Amino acid sequence: MEGVNSEYLILTIVLWFGFYAIVVLSLNIEYGYGGIPNFGRALAVLMGGMAVGGLMNRILISIFKVSGGIIEASGTTKSIVNSIIAENPILGISILLSSLGLAAALGWVSGALFILPSAKLSEDYLAITLLAISEVTYLISYYNVDFIGGYYGVSIPDVLAFIPGTRRILVFTIILLLITFGCYLFVEKLLNSPYGRILKAMRENELVAKAYGKNVMMLRVKTVALGSALASLAGALYSFYSVNVIATSFSRVEWTFYPILMLILGGAGNNAGALLGAFAFVLTKILLITYKFEITSALHLPFQAVWLEYILFGVAMILILFYKPEGLIKEKPIFTKAVKKIVKTKQNQK
Amino acid sequence: MAVVEGAIIYSNLLALLSIGLTITYITTGVPNFAQGSFAIFGSYVSLSLLYFLGLHPYYSLPISLILGGFLGFIIYIGVLKPLIAKEAKIVILMIATLAVDLIMLGSIGAYSDYLSTATKKAAKKFIFTPYDFNLIGFPAIFIVSIVAIALMLLSLFILLYKTKFGIALRASMENPALAETMGVNVEYTRLFSWMLSGALASAAGTLLPFRQEIVPASGAIIIVSIFASSIVGGLTSIYGALIGGYIIGVSESLITFSLSSILGSGVLVYAKVVSLIMLILTLIFIPRGLTSIKWRGLTRST
Repeated sequence: MEGVNSEYLILTIVLWFGFYAIVVLSLNIEYGYGGIPNFGRALAVLMGGMAVGGLMNRILISIFKVSGGIIEASGTTKSIVNSIIAENPILGISILLSSLGLAAALGWVSGALFILPSAKLSEDYLAITLLAISEVTYLISYYNVDFIGGYYGVSIPDVLAFIPGTRRILVFTIILLLITFGCYLFVEKLLNSPYGRILKAMRENELVAKAYGKNVMMLRVKTVALGSALASLAGALYSFYSVNVIATSFSRVEWTFYPILMLILGGAGNNAGALLGAFAFVLTKILLITYKFEITSALHLPFQAVWLEYILFGVAMILILFYKPEGLIKEKPIFTKAVKKIVKTKQNQK
Repeated sequence: MAVVEGAIIYSNLLALLSIGLTITYITTGVPNFAQGSFAIFGSYVSLSLLYFLGLHPYYSLPISLILGGFLGFIIYIGVLKPLIAKEAKIVILMIATLAVDLIMLGSIGAYSDYLSTATKKAAKKFIFTPYDFNLIGFPAIFIVSIVAIALMLLSLFILLYKTKFGIALRASMENPALAETMGVNVEYTRLFSWMLSGALASAAGTLLPFRQEIVPASGAIIIVSIFASSIVGGLTSIYGALIGGYIIGVSESLITFSLSSILGSGVLVYAKVVSLIMLILTLIFIPRGLTSIKWRGLTRST
């Protein structure tokens, strides 16, 4: 297929892998380890967008004393800030870092609040409530122009304005991959601990966790707060990449359903599986998007390719649930030092 | 007055949708995340009949009902039954209905593209109000939706309480294991509940465009109200779904309307916030819903 720049294609795949890997890792903490069916993952990603488009933008607008509504003012601020960043990279980097901090904080608080009403209840009530809250917040941020510009969206400064246009995506991708890798190390370290093991115990049997003196409700609140803080980072990074924020980019399909699909495809309950699932999904999706015109014209489809994408990924999910519910990489039993010791002494006795 | 009528019409439809959701929840134990799309399926069935055959949406109700039942049949046999046979957990069943919702969204969207190019009429966004007429001083949809829900409730009542199948059905809803040992085929009752749910949702979906604009993704918006209705009433009670449908339907319409007369029409988009707040309040104070409250016990203690 000619006309597709292969370097651009690879960068796009890596870039989306970076965004989705963070979200899938966050979902793995909650669903893979903790068994909390977070059907409202998109909310945390939207909060990342809000942290940048709503909070950071307002801070910059007040610093540079730009007047007018958030939609117009964000445009003016963007051009002012971009020209400063072009001369002074430190401003760009500090905007990026402080926005990530804001996003994590907003994600943490919103995550804790959003699970609170259903934290005590069974998994079906949990899933319903989380989905409902996420869906309604999405609707409000789309119809209300005061938060992040609603259906008009808001502009975001380019934090890499000091880098020439041709290299911008490459540098952004490298920064993103570093952050993703950092998230992976953090999650891996965090879950290979008593905390990770109590999460798995709670997933398998709530009563066991209770019997060991753990407060299941608090554990759930903490876990979703943590997962949401991580997923928020992805939302913030995505906003900086696209240099604008619009509510429609944070839909349930893109940020709740697809991450669940990636996690189950790769294998819930292990981080390597989460990453593999994200990569396999992104590869398929980007190829599908890149060649959508070829696909629709070759198959003579009388409709847009996005509908085909929904049908394909929906069917893929059901097939995985039927034939490979444990995913590509199966969850391994936990061997702590104490367990290894017992296994060894038993073998020696034989 | 028009506001009250609108609230009643909407509540009638919401009650049909939440009764369907509750019935499948009772028999299969899984909240159906595709219930909203089931309704939109019905909307598109009647739109197609209108465009291709010139059939008025009211006359397409029986066809939509049957096709909706068929849809429920396919979803249960094709997706849920194999998973239940593998003893899949509830979470897996929920994810499966989420996937069904996405497949339906994709299919309805693709079909709407096809329909608009084939008929050169609006299919990606449509409304039936121009086709409505006046009936004894009311908009016809007001009468039709009341008659539709009354008929369906009556036949549901006769089925559940006056037939042998209904007794078996209720028994397997109350205690599937016991019903099975008494010789009731739980498989049939599950299948029937999904067909019934699909039929009710599709019928509601046929009438929904008389009340609001429909796009292929409308299911994702209405699902919040359906869940709120079922949970406010109590997820395990059919009466609960009925009561919940009216509580949510009326409060969504009336609260947002009265707020809009104070704060301006901008608040109309907050209708779903009303549902969400009622859902959350219910979960905090009476997690098993209104029908779980022992009213007699309350009066005795005071």
